[in-house]
Amino acid sequence: MTKKSSLSGKTGKIVALSLLLGSLFSSAAHADVFDDIKARGKLVCGTQNASAPYAYQDPVSRTFVGYDVDMCKELAKALGVALEHHPLSTEARIPELKLGRVDVVAGSMAYLPERAEQVDFSLQYLQGDIKVMVKKKSGIRKLSDLADKKICASKGSSSAAVASRVLTKSQVLTFQDVASCYLGLQSEKVEGFTAGELALKRFEIDSQGKGDPVVLLPEATYAEHIGIVVNKGNPKLLAAINDVIQRLDKTGALTTLYDKWLGEQSIYKLKRKFKVEPVDKAV
Amino acid sequence: MDFQLSFLMSSNVLPLLLQGAATTVRLFSTAWIIGILVAFLLVGLRAVPNRWIGRIVALFVEYHRNVPTVVQIMVWYFGMPEILPQDIKLWINRGDTEFLFAMIALGLNVSAFFAEDIRSGMRAVPHTQLEAARSIGLSAFGALIYVLLPQALRISVPPLINRSLILFKDTSLAMAIGVAELSYQTKAIENLSFRSLEVFFASTVFYLLASLALMGIGAWFSRRFPPAFKG
Repeated sequence: MTKKSSLSGKTGKIVALSLLLGSLFSSAAHADVFDDIKARGKLVCGTQNASAPYAYQDPVSRTFVGYDVDMCKELAKALGVALEHHPLSTEARIPELKLGRVDVVAGSMAYLPERAEQVDFSLQYLQGDIKVMVKKKSGIRKLSDLADKKICASKGSSSAAVASRVLTKSQVLTFQDVASCYLGLQSEKVEGFTAGELALKRFEIDSQGKGDPVVLLPEATYAEHIGIVVNKGNPKLLAAINDVIQRLDKTGALTTLYDKWLGEQSIYKLKRKFKVEPVDKAV
Repeated sequence: MDFQLSFLMSSNVLPLLLQGAATTVRLFSTAWIIGILVAFLLVGLRAVPNRWIGRIVALFVEYHRNVPTVVQIMVWYFGMPEILPQDIKLWINRGDTEFLFAMIALGLNVSAFFAEDIRSGMRAVPHTQLEAARSIGLSAFGALIYVLLPQALRISVPPLINRSLILFKDTSLAMAIGVAELSYQTKAIENLSFRSLEVFFASTVFYLLASLALMGIGAWFSRRFPPAFKG
């Protein structure tokens, strides 16, 4: 029957398409990307696209700014090439890298052993605590109070990836984004909201002076070791990036960057505590 | 990068995928049943010769056809419990509310489309059929049950199958409120392991096979109950 033959034709096409996709992925790993960057005189650096203070659009200037964006600039400058900045959505970071559309991603990506099987992490250029936020009036004061409670994390975040491991006694839900999680906490859908300390701090600052403030629990659930990510099989590029990070650390430029986006000059007022070291050292 | 299907079989991935697929099927089937029941109710209400009832049904249908489905899910999940008293709200929130509200939202959403599909099927049956049914002594209700609906439903099968396929894929929207269906688990595994290609491949195959099965059911149904009247 004609209907049947058209169905098998469709399946054939899908098989062909997936083979094509597979070959695209495998062709991404050939020579060291470092040589490509030097040859074309341009570094294509990916960051997040809506994640303050790492990489977000400045509402006034309409350009992308942030800690990761400055990191991309420093990298390009140190490698002596021009910078092409690609803002990426959280979910697109790894596929874009694997397809070779970006050379490196400074996307506030935390090290996890499973992730390191797929990509290589540089030395850590940032470290962040994952914390839990609750309503002040809920009476929850420490992590162990969260047993059997619903906790929200945002989709695609490292906090979501580690939450179900660290908060084993709680039920972890992931919502679309941090704003949905905050809404869920406010409307008592969930009793805790886990994310990076910085994202939570913004909500905490925002909720002060209102009827029903939220607070961060002091204990961190996990320390994220954040590195710049490159495809496997690029030892030269990775070494070059590590070299740049170490130099920025020595000259104090890294601390300056930190103070600008996360420390003294920002709303967060954090103090730099991390050292530049391998991301998997403490894990 | 290397494409390893064996990764999908590992003990910390396969159970998640299977759970996700089971939740997807459960969400689809419960929402489908709600949808078809409410759709018949809507079709029945529209047949009532009262202008206000007709307007309310039309408003219901237009809301569900014109507001994005994910927004409807959000409205049910975040909005509806807010009008309840505090104690009941907290009691509801402790249960499996994510699945419950996604099921209600998707069910009502698809009911609006199903109702329109059935209504268009009924309009495709020539008016003379009704007249003939009444002239041989059937009541208005009898004419509807024995003459009009059997023909109308057969005509409605292709658009109903079409909408069911869309409903099947719309179940993935429920991940916005944390229902752990297949797309949710796919993203979670991807986020943890960065093995995008393998997990998306697996879920694509599942959605494709399930859709083909639905189409198969539709084709079987159309052959088994062909539209009797072609006028």
